[in-house]
Amino acid sequence: MSRVVVTGLGVVCSLGSDPVSVAAAVRAGTVGLSPVPALAHLPDDRAGRVAKPPIRAWLKRRKDRKLMARASELALSAAGPALGDYPGDRVDLGLYLGVGREPPDDGDSEAALAAAAVDGRLDPEALAGRGRDLYPPLLPLKTLPNMALAHISINLDVMGDNGAWAGERGAGQRALVAGVQAVAEGRVVAALAGGADSLVDLGSARDRLRLGHTGPPGEAAAILLLESLTSAQARGAHIYAELSLGAAGPRLEPPLSAVGDVGAASVPLAVVLQIAAGIDQTTHVHQPEPGDVSSAISVSAPPPC
Amino acid sequence: MDLVDAFGRPRVVVTGLGAVTPHGIGVEAAWAGVTGGRSAISTISRFDPTGFPVRFGAQVPELPPIHDIPAQVAPLAADLKGRLAVLALREALEMSGLPALGPRAGVCIGSEAARPSLADVARRLATSEPPTADVLARMRPDAPTRLMAVLAGATGPRSTVSTACTSSSQAVGEGVLRLRRGDVDAMIVGGVDVLVDPIMVTGFSLLGALSTRNDDPQGASRPFDADRDGFVLGEGAGVLILETLAGALARGAEVVGEVLGYGCSCNAYRITDSPPDGRGAAQSMAAALADAGIVAEDVDYINAHGTSTSMNDASETRGIHRAFGSHADTVRVSSTKSMTGHLVAACGAVEAIYSVLACRDGVLPPTANLHRPDPECNLAHVPMQAERSPVRRAMTNAFGFGGSNGTLVVAGRP
Repeated sequence: MSRVVVTGLGVVCSLGSDPVSVAAAVRAGTVGLSPVPALAHLPDDRAGRVAKPPIRAWLKRRKDRKLMARASELALSAAGPALGDYPGDRVDLGLYLGVGREPPDDGDSEAALAAAAVDGRLDPEALAGRGRDLYPPLLPLKTLPNMALAHISINLDVMGDNGAWAGERGAGQRALVAGVQAVAEGRVVAALAGGADSLVDLGSARDRLRLGHTGPPGEAAAILLLESLTSAQARGAHIYAELSLGAAGPRLEPPLSAVGDVGAASVPLAVVLQIAAGIDQTTHVHQPEPGDVSSAISVSAPPPC
Repeated sequence: MDLVDAFGRPRVVVTGLGAVTPHGIGVEAAWAGVTGGRSAISTISRFDPTGFPVRFGAQVPELPPIHDIPAQVAPLAADLKGRLAVLALREALEMSGLPALGPRAGVCIGSEAARPSLADVARRLATSEPPTADVLARMRPDAPTRLMAVLAGATGPRSTVSTACTSSSQAVGEGVLRLRRGDVDAMIVGGVDVLVDPIMVTGFSLLGALSTRNDDPQGASRPFDADRDGFVLGEGAGVLILETLAGALARGAEVVGEVLGYGCSCNAYRITDSPPDGRGAAQSMAAALADAGIVAEDVDYINAHGTSTSMNDASETRGIHRAFGSHADTVRVSSTKSMTGHLVAACGAVEAIYSVLACRDGVLPPTANLHRPDPECNLAHVPMQAERSPVRRAMTNAFGFGGSNGTLVVAGRP
């Protein structure tokens, strides 16, 4: 089993997209929540919304952006800086992503569905006729949960072992664990791993309330470049931290009061910010989903050269 | 008998299978359907498809009522997707004879988010009210995973893979990795999906991905045929119970087959298209062969992804040639989607079941409707009718929208 280290960090959240300054802002108690007009009639209209995902530097074809749900934009915006100028072969680079729930369609289908409503019910014949004329043809490809993974793969030429997990906070943790395991076991030499999620649209915000979730919604992506220690040392990479499976030291909590509930990005965000803030002691993340007892990750200072 | 493989890892075997497919309820009904060369594709009856550009699909038959669901997960079993999951799970558990599960058993299911019914959508449009908590819980991609874990009493690790058509192939792969690591003694793995739905028919037909042979539903899915014009939406569920060989032997379980290898890759190409050179598919197949510790010549049969779209079938063919070299001219290939349609998140698991059964019975299910093989799809097909032939090892491919690829290598009983 190889030791696994972090050699790249990428983050996008309502407090910014530079890991060090976001970590500093969180430690300073800065709150990245602001009123969102679309949420005006909800009990709390605040959300941790990203003003403008810094995606353009990573997008090969600008027209592909119309295929991207918000979580995909965030994921690519974080994956680009995490991968940086990694010189290794991307054919064998792993890619593991927690994607939470299915991305909303941002109202894209609303006009088609409204046109298909007849006497208070949705009429299949009307959907097949005037509804179909208004239905965005590429919508299914925008809202599939694995599209964030697909856009990273396409735009950053990542072709290796991969996976996308759904299921709220546990999904990002599962993806990180999968990345650590893949590198440790030698199935890949390096991997991008993390999570991306967006819950700030009206539909998601209402759904959270209906499910009893408290606190403002947010959106974020946090992605790490993982490598075996030997590979990172051989290429002289800057090593930020070491990750290992199991719980050691105090438990890290995702900074949800600062950026809102960021769903599948929660655990990777906590790890990225802990690393960016500087590691003075080993800590661990563990957002236990019922029954899942094997997925804590410990974050330690980088091993001495 | 060796309890570990050539790499010293615990061997992973299959002790239970469960399925609901367009051919019916149960694994043997599914297997009889595909080995009989019988298409389960017909005009849509669940809703009135008049006016839709595509008016056929591969629907599961009417399902019996589901009983004995604990209240805590009853809402998750209340829709078609939930009922498919329950029926497939119960068949697999019964076949495996697994004793009471617990923290040493995990669940990994391939699934997408469920779509709200037309009635739910209409209510939302009319009232601006969000869906009820029960509807929201059912729509989550991980709903089938949670449902199955509770029903099986599996309190170990659980996860939901959501990589479109590759989902359940990767779920099986994740189960294999967990067993090899010793995380668990048993894994419930599989997938479930429901695509024959007015909104899905609308969306995928607008993409131009679906066959439009409304006058010939049974002839619509024709993978590798020169006259193919798209895939057919389907629905179903497949569940496999995986254990280590050592564990299965220790409890005297009947072993059905073995999972030898798992590989996956990304295409890094385009959202909608497969790379014409099949490189991502080839990489996935090569990874699975390497993980199994075998060479191409050790594989006798490939259950292809074979969707019946022009692009996928040609790309997969080139991928097989890249991965298999000269053995691509010999290894037998078929696509059961010609009879079941495309089960999307469930296809990887259901087709893994077919592949295990091909090894068990020495029968190759055919590609139905393969009257005129496309020269671009130059493979050793099994056209029209099943063939008897020993299968030492079988490979099954699943390739997803967005370019995720997954491949499994299976064998019969050790």
